[in-house]
Amino acid sequence: MDGVSFIQKPHAATDQIRFMTAGSVDDGKSTLIGRLLLDAGALMKDQRDALAEDGEDLALLTDGLEAERAQGITIDVAYRYFATPDASFIIADAPGHEQYTRNMVTAASNSDVAVIVIDATRVEGGALQPQTRRHAVIAALMGLDIIVAVNKMDLLEWSQQRFSQVETAFAELATSLRISKVTCIPISARKGDNVVRRGGAPWWTGPTLIEEISHARRAKSRANSPLRLPVQAVLRTGATRHYAGRIESGAINVADIVRVGANATAAIVSEIIVAGRPVARAEAGASVAIKFVGERDITRGDMIADTSAHFVRGVVADICWLDESAWKKGRRYVLRQGALETQALITEINFVHDITHQSAGVAAATLALNDIANVLVAVRDAIVGDLYADLPGTGAFALFDAQTNQTCAAGMIREVAL
Amino acid sequence: MRLAYQRKDELMSDQATSASEAQRVSARLERLEAEAIYILRELAVFERPALLFSGGKDSAVLLHVAVKAFAPARAPFKLVHIDTGHNYPEVLSFRDGRSRATGLDLIVRTVESSIARGSVRLAEGASRNAAQAVTLLEVQQEFEFDALIGGARRDEERARAKERVFSHRDAFGAWRPRGQRPELWGLYNRHLGAGEHMRVFPLSNWTEADVWSYIAQESIELPSLYYAHQRNVVRRDGLLFPVTELTPAGESDEIETLTVRFRTVGDVTCTCPVESDATNAEQVLAETLTATSSERGATRMDDRANPAAMERRKIEGYF
Repeated sequence: MDGVSFIQKPHAATDQIRFMTAGSVDDGKSTLIGRLLLDAGALMKDQRDALAEDGEDLALLTDGLEAERAQGITIDVAYRYFATPDASFIIADAPGHEQYTRNMVTAASNSDVAVIVIDATRVEGGALQPQTRRHAVIAALMGLDIIVAVNKMDLLEWSQQRFSQVETAFAELATSLRISKVTCIPISARKGDNVVRRGGAPWWTGPTLIEEISHARRAKSRANSPLRLPVQAVLRTGATRHYAGRIESGAINVADIVRVGANATAAIVSEIIVAGRPVARAEAGASVAIKFVGERDITRGDMIADTSAHFVRGVVADICWLDESAWKKGRRYVLRQGALETQALITEINFVHDITHQSAGVAAATLALNDIANVLVAVRDAIVGDLYADLPGTGAFALFDAQTNQTCAAGMIREVAL
Repeated sequence: MRLAYQRKDELMSDQATSASEAQRVSARLERLEAEAIYILRELAVFERPALLFSGGKDSAVLLHVAVKAFAPARAPFKLVHIDTGHNYPEVLSFRDGRSRATGLDLIVRTVESSIARGSVRLAEGASRNAAQAVTLLEVQQEFEFDALIGGARRDEERARAKERVFSHRDAFGAWRPRGQRPELWGLYNRHLGAGEHMRVFPLSNWTEADVWSYIAQESIELPSLYYAHQRNVVRRDGLLFPVTELTPAGESDEIETLTVRFRTVGDVTCTCPVESDATNAEQVLAETLTATSSERGATRMDDRANPAAMERRKIEGYF
């Protein structure tokens, strides 16, 4: 066998897609994940042999930790892996329990697309469960496309009418959340219909779930966006310095003139190294080491960018509060954007999103675990004023508690504050 | 054929092959490699990081990526191996050879010394594998390492499926599955309290097939045990037990000489080979894609005892 051909073989090659799943055990989410793993051939013989034929115990495949079984609920995001001939997949499996918004936020931040699982038998009169609405709101806030797995359709004898009700309900929700794309797919996780293989509904001519996920690659290539390259480390060899980091958006070429740091000093790129090798060009996603013509004073946390980057000391952001201890006015946090860490204060809560109902949001004086709020953030050192909707790599930030070291919040910049 | 590990100056002058090389690299491996390099470069903010290097395939891949991550400079950490005293000699000499080639300091500490010190007491016949956790925490304290980098992957086992990339350990070295910090985008939280340390897993999102694809693509050198060789074994409970000085055959055992390879290489007393004719990484990969049993399920006695065995070891400080 030659060294090249195996790369083209099924399962060994191609793209990688990261998606998250949301939904409760009752909706059949665990059964669906078990089904994906089984029908995509991700299970080994010893795992397959342990399964009954009726699909009843597929959910056991994703059985969690001892610490969780003792409590009877899943308490954390689990990552699962499988591959089809077209692509390999990473599932970030978020527990659906209502108080675990923080798990969904964590999973969403590491995913390209969200799969929301719902139980079609519980959508009566076209009303979605509060939990489903919650999942959709968070996916929308985090900028993910949504695929709805309308499950248990076999129990409704594949009622096209019920499926249309769900589609209508989601179309309305999508409009109110300003989500560009929601696709509903009728499935039976237990029987395996329309998950990896077709079946069940003769009237369904749309994609299977796995086909739809496969198409949901990163919508637009980030290589065409403005350059943002946060500096993680300075690599010193003798008198030579290379600046190492991952390109969050855009591309960089040898001989490009770029801007460095908050003062936007111009610098000419003289060398680009990717994984130990010199290259002429590198694009978003690549981990690079850059050398400039002449000496530069650059450290970890600095940004290498094009002329579009502007630096600000205040932003309006949506934040998801993830810490057990509530936010207190005046408490200082460490804000991380790219590789930069600086002190931050939440100076004002504009409103807390009411994500179960569809109201505009309510005023609040505090933020508790799982709250999602629109706030004003002030920072000591200037950060890049990128909007999350345009440049998710640098429009996102995290807050850490300066005293307990806990990770407190996920933030998405919506506006630059003046 | 390319050398398994090129020296720095060769890395820098090897431009001719990079174009064709780039085409060969699949988008998937490229993304995984870029992510692992990104994670490794986060280690730049730690004062005393160390990479756990056993000589096994995952740590060989990890070291390979780590060298790339910091090229043209030298990787800023020491190598650490916790030796159970029950390792195959091929693996130990591979470990020493690779350490020398990278020019990184290698620190070896033995479970034996923990036993002598009294911090480890093993029940009769118990494996030394779990006891590594104690020795590991001792070496962590001895050198005040604030970050330990490991080659563990989330696809290996259910407890690992929930592990963070930056996994916080308290002053007792314990993993607290219920109190893990949320991990948002690539914005890792490196902050530690007094006496605490971080476990960092750059290969978290790699699968066994990814590891073998990468070994094939990069021509990464491995101990010979990973490829087909003749070995005396006995069959027990559906596993092939290697016959060694430490693990002699019982009186009723029938010793067979089979062509086998190891899928994981750990402590002699708890790692079993599988039958295989695969003599190179491509062939192992082909077998991996059609394998009939999971990596640890087929080969690790320590995980067969109880489905929660790994979770319990991790809570005790295992990597």
